[in-house]
Amino acid sequence: MTNSIREIRDADCILITGSNTAESHPVIGYEVVRAARRGAHVIIIDPRRIPMVDHATLFLQVKPGTDIYVFLAIMHAIIREGWADEAFIAERTEGFDDFKAAVEQYTPEYASLMSGVPVEQIEAAARIYALGERDAGDSSYDDARGRSTILYAMGITQRSNGTDMVMTLANLAMLCGHIGKRSTGVNPLRGQSNVQGACDVGCLVNVFPGYQSVTDAGAREALAQAWAADGLPGNVGLTIVEAMHAASEGKVRAVYVMGENPMMSDPNTTHVERALRGLDLLVVQDIFPSDTAYLAHVILPAAAALEKDGTITNTERRVQVLQPVLAAPGTAIPDWQIISQLAARLDAKMARERDADYWHYDSASAIFTELARVTPIYGGMNYNRLRGEGLQWPCRTVDHPGTPILHVDKFSRGRGKFHPIAAHDPAEQPDEDYPLVLTTGRVLYHYHTGTMTRRSEPLAWREPRGYIEINAEDAERVSLEDGHAVVVKSRRGTVRTRAKISDRVPPGTVFLAFHWREAAANILTQDFALDPIAKIPEYKVCAVRVENPRA
Amino acid sequence: MDSPSGEPHMLNIVIDGHAIQVQPGTTIMEAARAIRIEIPHLCYHPELSISGGCRLCVVEIEGRADPVPSCGQACQEGMVIRTQSEQLTELRREIVDLLMADHPLDCVICEKAGKCQLQKYAYEYGLAKTSHKAHVSRTLYQDDNPFFIRDHKYCILCSRCVRACWEIVGANAIEIFGRGFTSHVATPFDGPMIDSTCVFCGSCVQVCPTAALMPVSRAGKGREWEMQRVETICGYCGVGCKIEYALKDGAITYAQGAREESVNGDFLCTKGRYGWDFATSPDRLTRPMIRRDVAYALGLTDEPWQLPETSPLEVRKPKISDSFIETDWDTALNLVADKLADIVQSHGHDAVMGLASARCTNEENYLFQKFMRVGVGTNNVDHCARL
Repeated sequence: MTNSIREIRDADCILITGSNTAESHPVIGYEVVRAARRGAHVIIIDPRRIPMVDHATLFLQVKPGTDIYVFLAIMHAIIREGWADEAFIAERTEGFDDFKAAVEQYTPEYASLMSGVPVEQIEAAARIYALGERDAGDSSYDDARGRSTILYAMGITQRSNGTDMVMTLANLAMLCGHIGKRSTGVNPLRGQSNVQGACDVGCLVNVFPGYQSVTDAGAREALAQAWAADGLPGNVGLTIVEAMHAASEGKVRAVYVMGENPMMSDPNTTHVERALRGLDLLVVQDIFPSDTAYLAHVILPAAAALEKDGTITNTERRVQVLQPVLAAPGTAIPDWQIISQLAARLDAKMARERDADYWHYDSASAIFTELARVTPIYGGMNYNRLRGEGLQWPCRTVDHPGTPILHVDKFSRGRGKFHPIAAHDPAEQPDEDYPLVLTTGRVLYHYHTGTMTRRSEPLAWREPRGYIEINAEDAERVSLEDGHAVVVKSRRGTVRTRAKISDRVPPGTVFLAFHWREAAANILTQDFALDPIAKIPEYKVCAVRVENPRA
Repeated sequence: MDSPSGEPHMLNIVIDGHAIQVQPGTTIMEAARAIRIEIPHLCYHPELSISGGCRLCVVEIEGRADPVPSCGQACQEGMVIRTQSEQLTELRREIVDLLMADHPLDCVICEKAGKCQLQKYAYEYGLAKTSHKAHVSRTLYQDDNPFFIRDHKYCILCSRCVRACWEIVGANAIEIFGRGFTSHVATPFDGPMIDSTCVFCGSCVQVCPTAALMPVSRAGKGREWEMQRVETICGYCGVGCKIEYALKDGAITYAQGAREESVNGDFLCTKGRYGWDFATSPDRLTRPMIRRDVAYALGLTDEPWQLPETSPLEVRKPKISDSFIETDWDTALNLVADKLADIVQSHGHDAVMGLASARCTNEENYLFQKFMRVGVGTNNVDHCARL
């Protein structure tokens, strides 16, 4: 997030898109509810009538994958009506003219035709967001223009044009000057406890800790020196989905999985399974025997987050310290101890000459000291400083108070760059054989691949089994009733589950969460069209058909 | 950096002899709390709207004949406020006395004892029992879900739960229904929670000052003062809520929001507050394991075995011991290191892929990528950021 969670409650307008906030980030949902109760406008742009719509003042229900037209039209209307923040554009940004030319063709009328959203709603959303209008009550701020913030999640990014979508939201915020101030910004809500931190510390194919590029020879040299390594690989590595393809081609022979369940979380499960089965070595390090673990050659038992110390970084870039609450079961140990022991043994097998204690650390805190030394954005952090409320990066020096809001006086690159974006449609469109659009996500009571929450008694009581949300109109077409068994097919595979007839989804769209191993949604999703830059799969749109097994 | 706006003109007030300046709009309660003066209260909660129902927070303002509730009274220029006096103590004692007349005084067996706000004030005002005719008018007991129990006899109708549900959570599951002695906190038609719009976040339980709303998980598990408390960060989504776990004999009895200043304050979602019991599931992996065919090839077992063709996803209740044998750390780690070394030497560094985890710590992910880059020698290191 460019901004902090607790600022949301003071926003005048909150634009939520591609985020089922009340179910996937409930506590951020509470911030939105607080703001709404005080009279803030809440605009939701989403294909599904998600629970947060109950608190919305404006709901733009787009056909899946067509929201890009709506955003481009919103910006078209803002420019046309003179609602843009000219001063901000002049002082803080560049590339506006090219961008302006690019949105010229995307009129609200065109967007309405593509997305199914009425023109008036698009224009109202443009005005309310741009001017930071309130529905009622007084602003917490004295500005002439109210404060608008954007919240988004995987509904925006898990798309074959995910990068374009994110840049579009950044364009929108810059166009109205809604960035660099409290209660504004472009705020991705990250889905897992430490997904932010895992990125920050370099668990990505193209960057070392602190987002230093692996192709930058200077960064490689400096880091090799800090790590006392002979050299570091300079080629960008394979992302998860690419690695699965490489594995099925025999190029990747070993996969070491720490706390992940690709059999449930990666697109096109059948392909993933084939790839994993073909490996010479699959190591799964986890807390539960996941469906991926069943294909492993070796399973290593790890301690859970409740049994560990260490730090994690939340969606607002806040680094916070964990305390062990429980003892780990049996001989399970924290992941860092496993890695450290494995690394030392691999060195021995490969006859590498390194200090005997090269991979030895006394504690998580000792690792953090090294991490902070080579990760500039964490440079000023240490465990003593992180106790209590933690610190938000960038925090480069020990006297730096942390950064609750990014881009206050300037953007990290200097001037904010407008990126001209053209609309792109999802890679797989519904057709005669597969007439419905499947979109995937989470439900309130479960989390990711369900390995934890489905083993929680109260949560499993409330939501014991999977279901597919389907509109009454589509259900009737195949004579399905609520609770009926249903077969869902895509070009990749088949899933059996139950139908939940619901007006949360519009006709033509169905929703299946990916928590249910007995109805694994990713058997259906496609892995052929990744976003060209982020390499993210298009989980949010694929074509399926539903069949009634009784028919 | 700016902050939510205040008027430039501050107000001067005096509370219990302390001269302070406050922003216009600040209530007497808030002004007192800011200088750590605790005014007794039951229905007031800093995160919720003002109810003004319990009247326990009355204070005296110089120049005014009657005491006023401090929670709803905005400070005015020149106000001189007293939060303690004989008159106020009398008034407050009478309020607590009346509440106790409609509340079971079974503190000796009550699990909220030690943390109950009514008990705290009864103690402070020296009330062992009520001076009025005792009659508990609400008797409904609802244990219709595995999250929390609603035991209405302990309810003092402060409405904190209703306000939390409406103002913070937005679930609007409960309301105060009925009048007079029949009034109580209810779902529509007193139905079970699951038929309401409740999202089982337990925010109502957290703000309840008495034992009217209690977590199921702690029933019979011990008293407040026996609990050890550990604060950590929730392991589910990326919000990073601070959670305080109460433990008895090393086992979690319940979880709650940890403090006002954290990301989440008092409030959590259903997964954070109630979804921690997976950690002690009998399914947990406790020892390293080697797949039976690999173990057979290594001579660790005499029984030959083959990985079934069927996808694990198609097995309804798979059992890990059917496919794996347990082993010790040395055997498992040596096996992995051997095989990795072979693969790197025969197929190159980039034949190895590492999947790190968004559920592990920064330290672990840091070490993982360092292992992949320095130990194995590849940038094939990714995690579920995109998934």
